[in-house]
Amino acid sequence: MAPDREPLSPQVVSLSDEDLMARVADDDERSYTEIVRRYQGRVTNLISRVLNDRNGSDDLAQEVFVRVFVHRRNYRRGSKFSTWVFTIAANLAKNEIRRRVRRRNWFSLDALTEVLHDSLPQLADPAEGRESGLEREQLQGEVGRAIATVPEKYRLALVLRDIEGLPYEEIAEVLGVPGGTVRSRINRARSMLKRKLQPLLRKQGSA
Amino acid sequence: MSRCTRAHEMFGAYWDDETTRAEREWLDAHFAGCATCRSEYESLTRTLAAVAALPRAEAAPDLAERALAAARSRTAVPDVVFVRETPPWVPATAAAAAAFVVVAGLAPFLIRGFGPGDAASVRHAVQVTEPRLVSVTKPPGAAPAQPGRAGGSVAAAISDSLFDHSEDVDFVLDPVTLHRGRAHTASRLPRNVQGEQAVITF
Repeated sequence: MAPDREPLSPQVVSLSDEDLMARVADDDERSYTEIVRRYQGRVTNLISRVLNDRNGSDDLAQEVFVRVFVHRRNYRRGSKFSTWVFTIAANLAKNEIRRRVRRRNWFSLDALTEVLHDSLPQLADPAEGRESGLEREQLQGEVGRAIATVPEKYRLALVLRDIEGLPYEEIAEVLGVPGGTVRSRINRARSMLKRKLQPLLRKQGSA
Repeated sequence: MSRCTRAHEMFGAYWDDETTRAEREWLDAHFAGCATCRSEYESLTRTLAAVAALPRAEAAPDLAERALAAARSRTAVPDVVFVRETPPWVPATAAAAAAFVVVAGLAPFLIRGFGPGDAASVRHAVQVTEPRLVSVTKPPGAAPAQPGRAGGSVAAAISDSLFDHSEDVDFVLDPVTLHRGRAHTASRLPRNVQGEQAVITF
């Protein structure tokens, strides 16, 4: 096995994801490091946007890649690595959402509502108390929080499509649902988001 | 279906550039004559542009090293599904007689093949890719056997642990092995065996 911090050979860098995984299955740690480097940004961003939690996404992203290594021999050669790694990431993100809801609402039945209200204080009533001319960072914060209020199954599809740019067919594989369901979930998520952000973006546009 | 409803239903495909040429031309023509739909679509494009403009979260600089260190210390353990044998109904006397004959005849093989502590079975459990009976013994870390299940419990091993919580299942195992989103565990197990619970181990 290779030491962690040795520079990667050009040969490893030029390998396809699938070829790298074949080497990872044989315990080649250099190939593992390379595959992590290729996907760490997208996986971290996906988790970060789904959870709307930048800090918590690091640990979960790490867990995704730990599972890639632990289950390296279960990866089916010929299938797309990106689909596999996004499937793991999406499932872990879903679990984390549910874990957080359970933790926050141990005594409350209406967990989701509470989370939604907490996540979107300003957008709950955009006409009230909002100064004109929001800074870009503030706007991005609002958009991030608005995404976090979209119900989980729609949110995942939305983030995979509109943030990570995955094709519909791959999203269907990642989420394990038919392509038509993916389209309908994305359309619903977009409509929800539009409704939530419309007042804010209208104000932003006219400022 | 009104023209505006039809237009709304095409918004997503229009944004994704997945409409046919005829659909696109139809929608363009509709926008030209319908300010409401045009405004709605513009609102959607503003929303999606704001989403696309979100800054990307950067991965932690040492993520690869940390993941590797954590992975090294972790051993892959197969997911284990406890199952219960549920033989079809037969008259009790006939069943007892048949069971006696079968057990007497097969005892040496059963003891060797599925006996407690059988190392070959345990290794096999790690390698399987389909749910199958692997052992009558309790896997490490499993809950204590229930009195009523002693001797009658068997375990099925399922490789991988891609954990998924779809809306209609409490647990999901490897999507390669099981049909996602449905609890198909029992149907993939040998006849007369039903899944009872899943223990997911990572």
